[in-house]
Amino acid sequence: MDIEQVKERAGPREFSPKDDLPEEYRKAATRMIQFHANSEIMGAYLEKPFIRQAPSLDRKLAFSAKVQDEIGHGQLLYRAAESLGVKTRDEMLDELAEGKGKFLNCFHYPMDSWVETPMIAFFVDGAAMRRQATLKQSSWEPYAHAMDKVCFEEGFHVKHGEAILYELMTGSKKEQELTQEAFEEWWPRIIQFFGPTDDKSTHHDFSADVGLKTMTNDELRNAFLNAYVPKAEKYGLEIPDEPRIRDNGDSTYEVVEDDLDWDEFFTIAKNDYDPGKGQIDGRKQAQDAVEWVRETLDSHEQRFAGGTQPQAAD
Amino acid sequence: MASAEQLPGPNDLSDEEREAVETLLFRLADDEFVLAERYTEWQVRAPTLESDLALANIAQDELGHARLWYDLLQDFGPDEPELIWERDPGEWYHSTLTELPFEEGDWADPILRSYLYDAAEEIRLEALEDSSYARIRNRVGKVQGEEDYHLEHAQNWLERLAEEEQSRERVQTALDRLWPHAQTIFAPTDEEVEERIDDLGLRTKSLAEMREEWRETVVPYLEDLGLSVDAGGETDLPEVTGRNLSHTDDWDDLWEDFTATYRELGREEATRIMKDPDEVE
Amino acid sequence: MIWEVFRQEQAGEYHTHCGNVHAPDREMALMFAEIQHGRRKPTNSLWVVPQKEIGEVDTEEANFGGTTDKSYRWAQSYSFEAAAEEVADSESEQVQAERQRGDD
Repeated sequence: MDIEQVKERAGPREFSPKDDLPEEYRKAATRMIQFHANSEIMGAYLEKPFIRQAPSLDRKLAFSAKVQDEIGHGQLLYRAAESLGVKTRDEMLDELAEGKGKFLNCFHYPMDSWVETPMIAFFVDGAAMRRQATLKQSSWEPYAHAMDKVCFEEGFHVKHGEAILYELMTGSKKEQELTQEAFEEWWPRIIQFFGPTDDKSTHHDFSADVGLKTMTNDELRNAFLNAYVPKAEKYGLEIPDEPRIRDNGDSTYEVVEDDLDWDEFFTIAKNDYDPGKGQIDGRKQAQDAVEWVRETLDSHEQRFAGGTQPQAAD
Repeated sequence: MASAEQLPGPNDLSDEEREAVETLLFRLADDEFVLAERYTEWQVRAPTLESDLALANIAQDELGHARLWYDLLQDFGPDEPELIWERDPGEWYHSTLTELPFEEGDWADPILRSYLYDAAEEIRLEALEDSSYARIRNRVGKVQGEEDYHLEHAQNWLERLAEEEQSRERVQTALDRLWPHAQTIFAPTDEEVEERIDDLGLRTKSLAEMREEWRETVVPYLEDLGLSVDAGGETDLPEVTGRNLSHTDDWDDLWEDFTATYRELGREEATRIMKDPDEVE
Repeated sequence: MIWEVFRQEQAGEYHTHCGNVHAPDREMALMFAEIQHGRRKPTNSLWVVPQKEIGEVDTEEANFGGTTDKSYRWAQSYSFEAAAEEVADSESEQVQAERQRGDD
């Protein structure tokens, strides 16, 4: 298949590993899914300390389950990316460790306090779920399949984040104030989750043309703001004055892009933002520390030629 | 069938009976809670994504078990904050095996620790199947239903790690460090209370009997894997056993960490998401 | 290596493909699949199969059911009223299958 045929055929779940797809498609799909998978891992990395920090037994269980799910999503997504035949999972995880793998802007910021947890667990996860729901229509079938399972699980994450937000905003005055502060700090980053307006986005056109993604950054940001601005206000959060957001009254919004720090955004996009670099290195250290276990598993696998030998009756 | 007479419900126990039940429950609950707290350190740090998911699952199972046992302690009055978030670190009953920190990347430790603990847990739960205290007896099956996976998980891993010289040595190092602490699983809290626990039929095997059974299980298994076990007698109990409410310094650090949010936010309640275990039984 | 995972939701149903896991052998694959693919969705049983052991034939290479008229295989080609309920049920399943095959 050449790229013109791909564009012609492009549609939901149209392409699978047995299709003979041009390199351009495989690379674009790998880049997109790898980014998504990396984001699951780095999101989990950021949230993991809050398993320990959770102030109740049930919250601890839920946080552990949530982080577990994110790693599970990473597993599904790396498999969907691997099946494009461009890179193996190990290669992608190594790239992430070496600072070459890209991931969501929000996961480059440090998260220090419990009051910050709903910023990721409610707003960022809510934004992610908005996007993921549209990716069930992606043209790369393994990606769409992964999205079925991810969306099935993600509902729990967003509801869990919402419950924490509600609890904080109905808690002590101190909790409410700290939560508002955290919200003001995170809100611009959350808006930037969807990237710059479409005319400034570089990868969109091709991804849309070959059906990898089905909605634009602007459409997704509008849908997110429609659903989550009223929610934030309902829980008593004040939307910061900046970035200015104009409600057009027809379910669309205009974000005054100059109010957002795009220098920081693009520094982050290059993995050059200091806190993010620390998080990348921290994860690398953890990954390197268990390299010996993977080596043991590999030699075990080779010794048994993949476990297809007859096994003792069990 | 329980050989001893059945004990009444929580409100009708004598002070001595209640002390025996509480001692038993605190050990069960604290072991599971603290071990799970340690296991969760491996989330996002395990050797592969699949193994990350599996150990996280085990941690959640153990937390769920702790939740069942703490709930039975609530029968006697204290709520979750008093049982967990506000309890002084010097009043915890867990074995020191559960509280030790991991060294970075030392995957042999959680695997071996899980094996030593889960092999003991199997024996300990079996001895509660016919407990004279119905509230405990009725919850044992649910806990056992999840323990099979834990033991199988630990053994599958141990057998593979033991195949290679390099990784077997790591298991051996972990064994040398953990072995004395594992002995504390069956260490007494107070000899007199232990005797009462047996006399009341709260469990059907004494600590000494369970410890013997555990050693007869784990020593040959580990030796078959090519590991050497320094199987001394009672003398290899460390000074701090956890059971006697003395702990390592690492426990104080861990306690500080997991209670930090609760204290910093000045919380007085612990949020419930799930129904009371009695409602789902 | 990669193991394909098939989940059966309830006893008696088919095992359907639900994903895959990296694992060094069958035992570990089952152990991992139990958590990754069985912990949230209703599950009665799981199969794991080495990915490289799976063979496939699809419409690129095969004409499933042939290309010439084989309507003699379908109950609806015979213009009698069904003799019994189970015969009618079978016929309606065949009508649906025929429609899905696009033989009309």
